[in-house]
Amino acid sequence: MIEVRELAKHYRVHRREPGLRAALRSFVRREHVTVRAVDRVSFTIAEGEVVGFLGPNGAGKTTTLKCLTGLLHPTTGAVRVLGHTPHRREPEFLRRISLVMGQRNSLFWDLPAADAFEVNRAIYGIAPGPYKSALEELVDLLDLEPLLHKQVRVLSLGERMRCELAGALLHRPEVLFLDEPTLGLDVNGQAAVRSFLRDYNTRHGATVLLTSHYMGDVTVLARRVLVIDHGTLRFDGDLAALVETHSPHRLVRVTLREAVPEQTWAGLGEVSSIDGAVVTLAVPRAETAAIAARLLTTLPVEDVAIEDPPVEEIIRGVFAHA
Amino acid sequence: MNPWPRQARILGICWRAAVTGEMEYRFNFLANFALSAFWMLWAAAGASVYFRFTGTVAGWTQPEVLVVIGLFFALNGLRQALLQPNLERMTEYVRRGTLDFLLTKPFDAQLLVSLRHLKVNNLLDPILGLALTVVGVALSGRGVSAAALASFLLLLACAVLLMYALSVVLMALAVVLVAGEELGRVSFAFVELSRFPVEMYRNPAQAVLTVVPVAFLTTYPAAALLGRLDPYLLLLAPAVAAGAVVLATLLWRRSLRSYAGASA
Repeated sequence: MIEVRELAKHYRVHRREPGLRAALRSFVRREHVTVRAVDRVSFTIAEGEVVGFLGPNGAGKTTTLKCLTGLLHPTTGAVRVLGHTPHRREPEFLRRISLVMGQRNSLFWDLPAADAFEVNRAIYGIAPGPYKSALEELVDLLDLEPLLHKQVRVLSLGERMRCELAGALLHRPEVLFLDEPTLGLDVNGQAAVRSFLRDYNTRHGATVLLTSHYMGDVTVLARRVLVIDHGTLRFDGDLAALVETHSPHRLVRVTLREAVPEQTWAGLGEVSSIDGAVVTLAVPRAETAAIAARLLTTLPVEDVAIEDPPVEEIIRGVFAHA
Repeated sequence: MNPWPRQARILGICWRAAVTGEMEYRFNFLANFALSAFWMLWAAAGASVYFRFTGTVAGWTQPEVLVVIGLFFALNGLRQALLQPNLERMTEYVRRGTLDFLLTKPFDAQLLVSLRHLKVNNLLDPILGLALTVVGVALSGRGVSAAALASFLLLLACAVLLMYALSVVLMALAVVLVAGEELGRVSFAFVELSRFPVEMYRNPAQAVLTVVPVAFLTTYPAAALLGRLDPYLLLLAPAVAAGAVVLATLLWRRSLRSYAGASA
């Protein structure tokens, strides 16, 4: 479905030092540097998979996504999506994909949402029957009825994002590229978009490649993650495997009935926080069960909970190791 | 499948929205109309100054110059109504990443980017300009044969294509330079040069304007209407117009190859 082999995208950018003299010098003689935005990245994504694409700002996520959607010509390497070479931008290819970018506007800004959808219908050449059923489904799932006759530019960010998603899915794309789809949305907005995307993937089996800063998007939607940093791929695999490999610890949260002396914790694990009666210990992954059992038998414990550290922390760990 | 109906339909939807949006501002529309009429009459009056002292300037009589001025206003109005609003938005498309979306749609991005917006306020200018052209022809006392009218329409179509081609070239530059606010002025300057017949300029300016090719905008269509066109231009003008559109399209495609998007 998606095949990326040794993909590299280098930009040649003009560099100059700050200050007037440097500006004058660079006006006469430009100095260029090559930025390796993406450097020999390879992966494949199978049909129907939902893959999260993680990495800090400037890691190369969006550049990769733009190479996959045909917006950028790769410097070297090969990209195949649905059997097409994206940068040729063949209509048969573009008709089967969709790109959604948070805080960017793809719908025609000055039209009411319903008319903006109509433009997309014309652009994608969707037949009346499928259009009607797709629109009904999307209006229902995204609760768009009250928004249809408002101009896109007067909608709130959350409302606009729902309309953007509908506009991007009217032609039932087989591959969906989502770049920070929940950027700037409030908690409810994020939850609505996430649950919609999960539903949509289940119903239509669309392949989804998702980049996000919000770990919640990734943990809810993607089983597999690609971690990219400085243009190179650091990890490709199950989210669960990422957690296991890059987090040798688990967190044991103990709620006590009565206070215990601090030295009690020595040898049980590293105390990461004490909040009244709740103590959180970081314990080696392999010893989690044994330590939990020891806690229960030796201390006045009311409750014990075992959890993985937040994925953000694990990702930071991946970058720190790299 | 013929792609034209689909493209026409899409532009139709966009234009309809522009019309309904701007029709709410009736006063703007009327004020603009009055202003356009004023500037056109001012230009016509200005030209009459030359003819106080002489019957012809560079072989053009006063009514014949009115034909050219009318065509200039018609073309300039069309440029302001259809090309300028899109050119102005081009830099914004590149900076805000809207171009990303236009390029991921299975549709000719060039057409969508270059013609999507419409400035309703200037839509009457072409009619106003053509009215002055008709007045000029009537005053010139020349009859217009069917052949002259047909040649005129052909050359006018070529002039519109030339203007369009320039607009596409400027859009391609906007993609590469990501700084296009000033580019609109280039297209303005190009059309502005066609305000008078090119013969009224001295050489070498006249030769330059023939090559550039400003002469194809108003001078030749006016000459066709007045029955004084060199017949070889009936072949040359379509060739120049077609060549310009092809070249502009190639430049546009080339610019997309170097397009780096709004953020990486």
